[in-house]
Amino acid sequence: MPQTISSATDSLRAGNRVVAFGIAAIVLILLAAAVFLFVNLPDANAFNAKVTQIFVDNDLRTNAELRLLEILAQSGTSFSEVLQSYRVVIFVLLVFATALLLAALVFLVTIIALNRRISAIQRSGIQVASLLISREGRAVYINDMEFALTEAALETLSVLAEARMDDEVLTGAQIESVISGRNEVDCDEAAGATRVKRLRDTLGNQLVSELLVKTIARRGYMLAVGKDVIRMV
Amino acid sequence: MARILVFMFVLLTALPVQAECYADYKAKQDNPLRLAYGVAQVSDGNCDPGSASSELGPRLAAAGWELLSVMSTFGPEGLAERQSSAADHFLRY
Repeated sequence: MPQTISSATDSLRAGNRVVAFGIAAIVLILLAAAVFLFVNLPDANAFNAKVTQIFVDNDLRTNAELRLLEILAQSGTSFSEVLQSYRVVIFVLLVFATALLLAALVFLVTIIALNRRISAIQRSGIQVASLLISREGRAVYINDMEFALTEAALETLSVLAEARMDDEVLTGAQIESVISGRNEVDCDEAAGATRVKRLRDTLGNQLVSELLVKTIARRGYMLAVGKDVIRMV
Repeated sequence: MARILVFMFVLLTALPVQAECYADYKAKQDNPLRLAYGVAQVSDGNCDPGSASSELGPRLAAAGWELLSVMSTFGPEGLAERQSSAADHFLRY
């Protein structure tokens, strides 16, 4: 379990790094694009320069021709206001693009993180999401699957579930003591171990000892499920 | 005979020096753009488009005009045909 947690934080840290790099890259690229666009927009004098060029290159010298050229240049200069509004529009679009790309990146990283978690969950095997002990039905519902139990096995499971809810690990002797009602010192460790063995046998032994009723070396037995998933009716 | 030849040589070489020289040019002003075609007198030593432009450039700049190009240089005989086109800028600067 601790292994999973450390790998989760590692991937979280890596994810944060990716996000930071991604945001920096996006902002940098769009900033470069913005500078490139603004630099390459023609300024208002471009039209005047063209008209001057026409004037120099051609044999235009009468007054009427020159006035006509000047009017042409003026109409071009009035276009400079349009260029100004283009600049604003381009700027707004670039800001939008930045925001969208950032959002896309964050979502992407979130999806990757979720995928990793899901695969981690899948690797951890059968997850006990709910453990419902029904005394009346003499059954236990694990993830909504019903397993019929004997009276004794049900008793053992209930004791273990109550201990789990109190975060306790029970020894075989303690289990026997709780069930039989006798003093713990009078109880045999082996008797409790037998009860646990029967419970495991009823539910499917090896799988159950790994996923549900775990043996903790030199300490006893404990249910390997979350406290909050246990319910008893 | 030799004296006559020397006299003629002097006369021939002296002729261009005495001739008046004019240049027609194109100039502009910025903000707002104004274009002008003009005729101006240049000193006889600068009677070709290259040197005429180096003489005219500062003269026009002083009057607020930027010289774009000197089209040609010519003598007094070319003035009449250019007067109407140059109008205000005929021998102004």
